Amino acid sequence: MPYKTSEIVDAVVIGTGAGGAPLLARLAQAGLKVVALEAGKQWNPAHDFPTDEKAQAKLFWNDERLSAGNDPIPFGSNNSGTGVGGSTLHYTAYTPRAQPDDLRIRTEFGVGEDWPFSFDQLEPYYDEVEQFLGVSGPSPYPWGPARKQAYALGPLPVNGAGQLMERGCKEVGIKTSPAANAALSAGYYQEGVGHRPACANRGFCQAGCNIGAKASMDVTYIPLAVHYGAEIRPECFVTQLVKSPAGILSEVVYMRNGQEERQRCRFVFLCAGTIETARLLLLNDLANSSGQVGRNVMAHPGLQIWGEFDEDIRPYKGIPGALISEDMHRPADADFVGGYLLQSIGVMPVTYVSQMARGRGLWGQDLKRAALAYNHVAGINILGDCLPYDHNYLELSDEKDIRGLPKPRIYFSNGESEERMTAHANKVMRAIWGAAGARNIWAFPRNAHVIGTCRMGNDASTAVVNANGQSFDIPNLYISDNSTFPSALSVNPALTIMALALRTADRFLEQWK
Amino acid sequence: MSNAHMLPHYPEGTVRTLLTTDLVTEATRQALTDRLNAPLREPTFFSADDFALLDAVCNRLIPQDEQEKRIPVAEGIDERLSKNTTNGWRYDSMPNDGDAFKLGLKGINESALVIFQQPFLNLSGDQQDQILKAVQVMEAPGEVWQNLPADRFFEELLAEAVENYYSHPVAQEEIGYVGMADTPGWKRLGLNQLEDREPRMATD
Ligand SMILES: Cc1cc2nc3c(=O)[nH]c(=O)nc-3n(C[C@H](O)[C@H](O)[C@H](O)COP(=O)(O)OP(=O)(O)OC[C@H]3O[C@@H](n4cnc5c(N)ncnc54)[C@H](O)[C@@H]3O)c2cc1C
Ligand code: SF4
Repeated sequence: MPYKTSEIVDAVVIGTGAGGAPLLARLAQAGLKVVALEAGKQWNPAHDFPTDEKAQAKLFWNDERLSAGNDPIPFGSNNSGTGVGGSTLHYTAYTPRAQPDDLRIRTEFGVGEDWPFSFDQLEPYYDEVEQFLGVSGPSPYPWGPARKQAYALGPLPVNGAGQLMERGCKEVGIKTSPAANAALSAGYYQEGVGHRPACANRGFCQAGCNIGAKASMDVTYIPLAVHYGAEIRPECFVTQLVKSPAGILSEVVYMRNGQEERQRCRFVFLCAGTIETARLLLLNDLANSSGQVGRNVMAHPGLQIWGEFDEDIRPYKGIPGALISEDMHRPADADFVGGYLLQSIGVMPVTYVSQMARGRGLWGQDLKRAALAYNHVAGINILGDCLPYDHNYLELSDEKDIRGLPKPRIYFSNGESEERMTAHANKVMRAIWGAAGARNIWAFPRNAHVIGTCRMGNDASTAVVNANGQSFDIPNLYISDNSTFPSALSVNPALTIMALALRTADRFLEQWK
Repeated sequence: MSNAHMLPHYPEGTVRTLLTTDLVTEATRQALTDRLNAPLREPTFFSADDFALLDAVCNRLIPQDEQEKRIPVAEGIDERLSKNTTNGWRYDSMPNDGDAFKLGLKGINESALVIFQQPFLNLSGDQQDQILKAVQVMEAPGEVWQNLPADRFFEELLAEAVENYYSHPVAQEEIGYVGMADTPGWKRLGLNQLEDREPRMATD
């Protein structure tokens, strides 16, 4: 339903990714007049998502960011997306839950930050999101507290990489299980959304799913929001949040087709992701009395170990993340904070070969020979907790983007804990791959998923938003995305972002409706 | 062609054949066919001399001398820089992509002149490799490398060249990739389980 820009709508939601879309649906369902402003396009999966990596680079946030520090973060394909659905358009759709102790890092280890609420506050939302998305996974799931509800669907089939990881782990005494993944193992119907078909095992989740089997926001929470009357405005790039003399936000300014437009509103929900949320606040000099906007950038240690096998694997088949182990959640011999999980990885060819070029520095005939082994390669990777540090932050640089706005510069260096964790994982994964029969094992160190910059907490002097996602400085500004996590968690973030979004929406509705 | 056939290899034409079938979606066919049939492109970002140098460098990074069909690697870089698009980030220690490429090419030539007293294009393949190796490990001589981080430049150039090469249908045939043929979905997922449309390696 299109609203007029002159009208005062109840809420403007900026960004339609994992943090924006579920919240949008909730507010619309409650009867609020809501408009979502999304910088990217509205895609038509069947027509716009060819099975081709290069053709799908359009799904990434490709405005240049400056990566500084000792371990500069690669953005673009590794990190953030754009379009109605945000980064979920090309996420791999692993959806493990955080475990209760993930939220208590400071209590447990004396460093980092605790979350301002405990696991039981998230649990009902985890249940809800998993059922709504149609997450496929094993029940019972072997790690974490007993689940109240089984996964919506049974696990997806385990591909070659998963079978090899299973074999290696069995040998070295590590427990594994089919992973929880938000791709459908059977057709699924949802009121307000419609029917979505089962995953065709086409291994292309790290780009757009052309059949809607993967639970990206554009085929789940966005249609639900529209069903309840929300308006989605794609290709609207927000540049300004206007503060009234009373100290609250009164309108949102954005660029559409090269023209400036304004939408008046009662509340603003900023859901533009870790980098753009902080950038918008810094550009507008808002919500930063704590000085914490842009601070505490975190990125999961994501070391990958690759190997070549005699077996034919064809790493393009099956969902990329088929098998998981959370046995390293709190390993007995840990010399680091928190823990990590292990995942098998399948991979598309261009991604694989370009990582190999970067990671192994191969070129010439050596590179072509190594690339020829593509059908015989499989990987495992970790995803582990990351501490917030003063030396990791985002700032506005002097360099301007095409709109004339300062490009963000992001500093990132792993600390001692992340380095020790990576060393630990390196040993564990090499042992697994050795036991599974791999040759030419090589390591690709990386950090994946940016988190932080607008931390949530109970203290206005050290946090940007409170436990409900509400700005301490501006009462009608809420943040719902990757940026508010006080700690990085030892799991992939998207499921928790969605659960938190629903909690934020419910708290907001209780307070204001 | 001759000794290439001694090594195990995948049959030629697999992807090109699949593109004419309904095993690929219309969108996929369009994207890959366009790439396959892209007309030759005159450089619009680089000068003719710089482009010749870039082309020679790319051919050492991913040799194509023995290939029947040449994949436009340097052309892809020129095209992107002409359009002024980026991949979403760059090392803060590097200048913008266009300047980095121009400087880096200058640096490569400069190193060639210091070591062999000859421009890069006049060198033998082995000598060219020697220069590139020196750039990669930050041991290349010359003024340019005092300011431009040689290892980062090399990594960025290599990664982009590789992406241009392996996204081409002919290169995908070389490595036996047929993931684009996915309309029926994949049912045989396990180890050593192949579907009929998946090519087998052969020695002949
Ligand atoms: C390749 C890849 C694989 C991943 N795999 C997984 C996985 O398997 N499991 C998992 O849990 N997570 C995964 N992630 C991470 C996950 O996708 C993100 O953590 C999550 O989507 C972040 O949610 P968000 O709401 O914070 O931001 P996003 O989902 O990125 O949404 C932000 C939205 O805001 C829009 N926006 C930004 N600025 C503006 C502006 N100024 N005006 C208007 N709109 C704006 C953007 O266009 C975007 O659509 C993956 C990410 C990538 C890149
Ligand atoms: S593997 Fe399944 S979920 Fe992933 S893109 Fe393919 S069909 Fe969609």
